[in-house]
Amino acid sequence: MIATIAFGLLILAAGIQIVYLLRRERKTDGFSHYIHLAAAALLLAVTIDRSIRIRFVAVTNTFESLVFFAAMIALVLFIYRLRAKDKTIPFITFGATIVAVALLALASSPIAPKDILPPIPALQSYWLALHVTLSFIGESFFVVAFVCSIYYLVSKDEEHKKNLDRLTYTTIAIGYPIFTAGALIFGAVWAQIAWGSYWSWDPKETWALITWLVYTAYLHTRFVKRFRGKVLAVLPIVGFVFTIFTFFGVNYLLAGLHSYA
Amino acid sequence: MSALYNFFRSVRLAVVLILIIAGLSILSTLIPQGKDTAFYFHTYGAFLAQVILKLRFNDFFRSLLFLIPAGLFFINLSVCAVDRLVNRERRKARRRHGPDLVHIGLLLLVIGAMFSVFGRREGLVYMGEGDEIRLPGEYTVRLLDYQYEEYENGRPKDWISTVEVSRNGELLIASFPIEVNKPLKIGGINVYQTSFAREDRATLRDAQGTSAPISSGEGFKWEGAVVIFQGVEGNIAVFEKWENHSRTEAYQVGIGDKIGEYTVEELGSRDVTGLKAVKDPGFIPVVIALILVAAGLTLTLIQKRKDKDI
Repeated sequence: MIATIAFGLLILAAGIQIVYLLRRERKTDGFSHYIHLAAAALLLAVTIDRSIRIRFVAVTNTFESLVFFAAMIALVLFIYRLRAKDKTIPFITFGATIVAVALLALASSPIAPKDILPPIPALQSYWLALHVTLSFIGESFFVVAFVCSIYYLVSKDEEHKKNLDRLTYTTIAIGYPIFTAGALIFGAVWAQIAWGSYWSWDPKETWALITWLVYTAYLHTRFVKRFRGKVLAVLPIVGFVFTIFTFFGVNYLLAGLHSYA
Repeated sequence: MSALYNFFRSVRLAVVLILIIAGLSILSTLIPQGKDTAFYFHTYGAFLAQVILKLRFNDFFRSLLFLIPAGLFFINLSVCAVDRLVNRERRKARRRHGPDLVHIGLLLLVIGAMFSVFGRREGLVYMGEGDEIRLPGEYTVRLLDYQYEEYENGRPKDWISTVEVSRNGELLIASFPIEVNKPLKIGGINVYQTSFAREDRATLRDAQGTSAPISSGEGFKWEGAVVIFQGVEGNIAVFEKWENHSRTEAYQVGIGDKIGEYTVEELGSRDVTGLKAVKDPGFIPVVIALILVAAGLTLTLIQKRKDKDI
């Protein structure tokens, strides 16, 4: 129920943003980010409530992961709206809000059962909690970078492009270390403690590595003049598509150790 | 020599190699790894199966297709890491140390991974209560108790194998509960709770009157062949005779009946726990490498914030 209210709030925020975007002066609305904050608070309340009930950090199934991911996106958007003032922000917030809405739509679908179930033995590890939460916090910054890159590719305004390039870089520069710590470092430590093997080339591990390689390539491509511009803007889009594939696609299309996640 | 150095210190080469490794890794996840040859012929047809097997796409992360770009990337990263340090000294410029730590950490990670590839040893054993296993270093692990706990809805809650550890007859640990995510650590070896099973048992008495239990999957020699105990069906023990890797005969034996020189005395089953013992000399270097990478990334983030770069 609480997650549904948060879902409604994010749709409301997206509605307000699109109304302002369609107006001729394209001004930033002054309040939709507070709706983001309210949605984030409600989604985190869902996580806390479920955590108390299962006596563990509630990020152990698809529904809980999607709720936490959407909460982090809403929170990151709130912070960016408070800090960044340039004219591209309304487009970016709208695009990223749509991503959060889409994730919550998936959470409400049958592919994400909502049963409140305590974790099976392999998941009873605080290394897992760090692995999942930090991965999603990092990925929520990648969502902003993804929207910035799409806008960069369609925009013709050079000043906008400059701002978008900068924002893409800063969001990836912040998200990358958090994602590395969560997805790769804490993931490896958990795997070692749970199965005695810090790396198994399991399809989900391999896809997390591929995603990390794409963002690593992005951060280094900035040093190569020849690759700047559109080539550089494509990488955060590919990175985000891979992020989503690592989360969903691997579970449904490729078998492996992470079949419960 | 300097041309080669310049080639390997290139960031452009790093980007290209990273993207090649990423692209090939994607392909590897689309092709199931480590299956029988027949699987690839059946799934992909003769031509594609031959391509997959020739290029060793079925064992991608040990194939030259992966190892060559990964090796080149290791050289590239080494040269870049040295070049960054040397250049900074030469120019006396204020540079960020975070990326240096990350690069050194990644190089150590690869070295640690090599230790794991060549030095990692593991073994899986199923044990019932009272069974013992010997580990390298004269350690003996004896299973005292095995428990399986369920939640109210029937989902698994915990598997607990309580063991005692001794060395050369001296008791070191009187009782240690091995659980998933809580391995036993002893003499550089970790023992993990990995699985459980129900195992059929038959007690066999030999011609001298000595009785000993045998578990499903175990066997004995008879007339130049091997007889394997398959399990219990009702009150009947099922055995199979194997010669030259093929099954030649199956036997159904009741209590009191003979199989070879043995007499079946008793049949039953018991719960067994699956414990995996692992010795991995690469893990400590890998942990140090991961700490370096994490420290390097944190430092980079702090330095970028300080320089108002982000």
